[in-house]
Amino acid sequence: MIKIKVRKPDMVENIKLHLDALLTGVKEAVKPGTITIEYPRERRWLPDSFRGYILFTPENCISCFQCSFVCPANAILMKKSENNRYYPSIDYAKCIFCHFCVDSCPGSALRQTKIHDVVYIDLDEMFCPTENMINPPEIVREDEYTVEYLMDLDIILKRVKERDDLIPEVKPVEIIKEYSSCYEPDSCLACGICVSSCPNEAISITSLDGEKRLKIDADRCTGCGICVKECPVQILKLVKG
Amino acid sequence: MIESTLEWDVRIPEKKIEEKYWLNLKKRVIESGLCSHCSTCSLICPVDGIISEDREIDFPDWEERCVDCSVCVRVCPRWDYNPLSDIGDYIELVAGKSRRFRGQDGAMVTEFMASALEMGLIDRTLFVGRDEEWRTEVYHIRSVEQLFDIKLTGTKYSFANVLPEIKRAMRTSEKGIGIVGTPCMVSGIRKLQKEFSIFRKKIRLVCGLFCTENFYHHQLYAFLKEKGVDFSKLIKTDITRGKFIATMTDSEISFPVKELNSIVPHGCEVCIDFTAVESDFSVGSVGSDPGYSTVVVRTEVAKDVLEYIKQNGHVDFGKVIIEVVEKLSNLKKKRTKNIPEEYRKHMKE
Repeated sequence: MIKIKVRKPDMVENIKLHLDALLTGVKEAVKPGTITIEYPRERRWLPDSFRGYILFTPENCISCFQCSFVCPANAILMKKSENNRYYPSIDYAKCIFCHFCVDSCPGSALRQTKIHDVVYIDLDEMFCPTENMINPPEIVREDEYTVEYLMDLDIILKRVKERDDLIPEVKPVEIIKEYSSCYEPDSCLACGICVSSCPNEAISITSLDGEKRLKIDADRCTGCGICVKECPVQILKLVKG
Repeated sequence: MIESTLEWDVRIPEKKIEEKYWLNLKKRVIESGLCSHCSTCSLICPVDGIISEDREIDFPDWEERCVDCSVCVRVCPRWDYNPLSDIGDYIELVAGKSRRFRGQDGAMVTEFMASALEMGLIDRTLFVGRDEEWRTEVYHIRSVEQLFDIKLTGTKYSFANVLPEIKRAMRTSEKGIGIVGTPCMVSGIRKLQKEFSIFRKKIRLVCGLFCTENFYHHQLYAFLKEKGVDFSKLIKTDITRGKFIATMTDSEISFPVKELNSIVPHGCEVCIDFTAVESDFSVGSVGSDPGYSTVVVRTEVAKDVLEYIKQNGHVDFGKVIIEVVEKLSNLKKKRTKNIPEEYRKHMKE
């Protein structure tokens, strides 16, 4: 067995070390050097464009499916609602929070929030149907401070005693009025797929004697572009009104 | 700015029976044995319901999915069947043999399409290739290099799904598309172009093939198998001088083409167009020496391509004996007797 000899500090050295420890303790108490945020008592300040939980306003939705087309994670499912319109629902188990859907929404029906701390019990619950997207999810807020990181060579925490609003105001998108029109009527199949695809009943097909008349009501057309996509011969285009 | 409209009319043909248009087509064309399997209806069907496979043209779930739009009837070349025959009008008649490509005879179809690609007249063309069992499959050709594949050239004598593929080619083609097809397919394309302007703009060059008949793959396969043809070794099928010749790597099997009569589809029995009269140019082996192809140039577009070929010296020219083409054309014309009375009256007018 080898016995390790511990060098015992002498009196002066001992006092010096103890004083050092005390000083560090006092320093931490007066001006803490940690960069940890004491969540949930404190909450980090986030910019308004933070990509968190997504809210939905059905009144602004034109059922254009853009959000579900653009979603790279295939997390958006368009579901038929009671008024026969299709509205998005998001599967948060798949969502990668890229907010392409929010950016692509032509009517700002989808908008971002700073909420990122929603808890789910299981995977099924992570599927968020349309009706749950209208109001922000229920979260218990214990925070009183908002903390912001200031980067100036050193990282400094700036604590403000106020609550940050998690649902920022969104400037509404300036909607450019567009409507669908046919630029090659000679190639129309008169199949009526545009008529049945239109969510706003803006296109009509009427049978005349040996002819079929197709008509687009520019006032009713919301410019969603569904008919343009659906037309099997691709002869419809959106024009600026 | 493209001119566009918010209101337009579309002419709709009259129904023969008070049912959906698909049923009209099925009763009048398919079930009466007039259908030539050109698959124009399958190309245009807006709900992609009409299927053209190695059997009769069909729309299995038409009751639910058919939107009764009438386009299948509008494009069908046999709805109001008014067949053309003989050689028709032409600008120039040449026999040629490509110096670059290997094909059925003189590889003139390949040469014309390759030249059209080089000229920039078209940027897509559809060729029919084959798998190990000589099932046909359509290839989208975008460069001349692709055409050196021997599997793409040469005659297969089976229906190919060329026309439905046009839809896919149209989506990406900017300059235009070149199509190679049998006379019925050419008629289908012309009717399509007559009805719908987008096809007038996109389909720029139509090559017709001299054709006596075409077969369903499964029937021809079974027939040739019985004759002892080994499809893994088969390199060429040909019909010359009344004989069907299957050339394999080590042997050759031939028999009189008349033996195939039992499997000739009904649609071919009522066809009297041998040279694809409505095409831009037609090509076939008949009327020229072995190793050469006869080319009937009918329109200015095809004439331009021929001029380009002449300038570049890609082709050796030979002699055409027009009488032989006329003879076979007349032979096919005899099938007029198979055409139902209703349409024959129409023709005499």
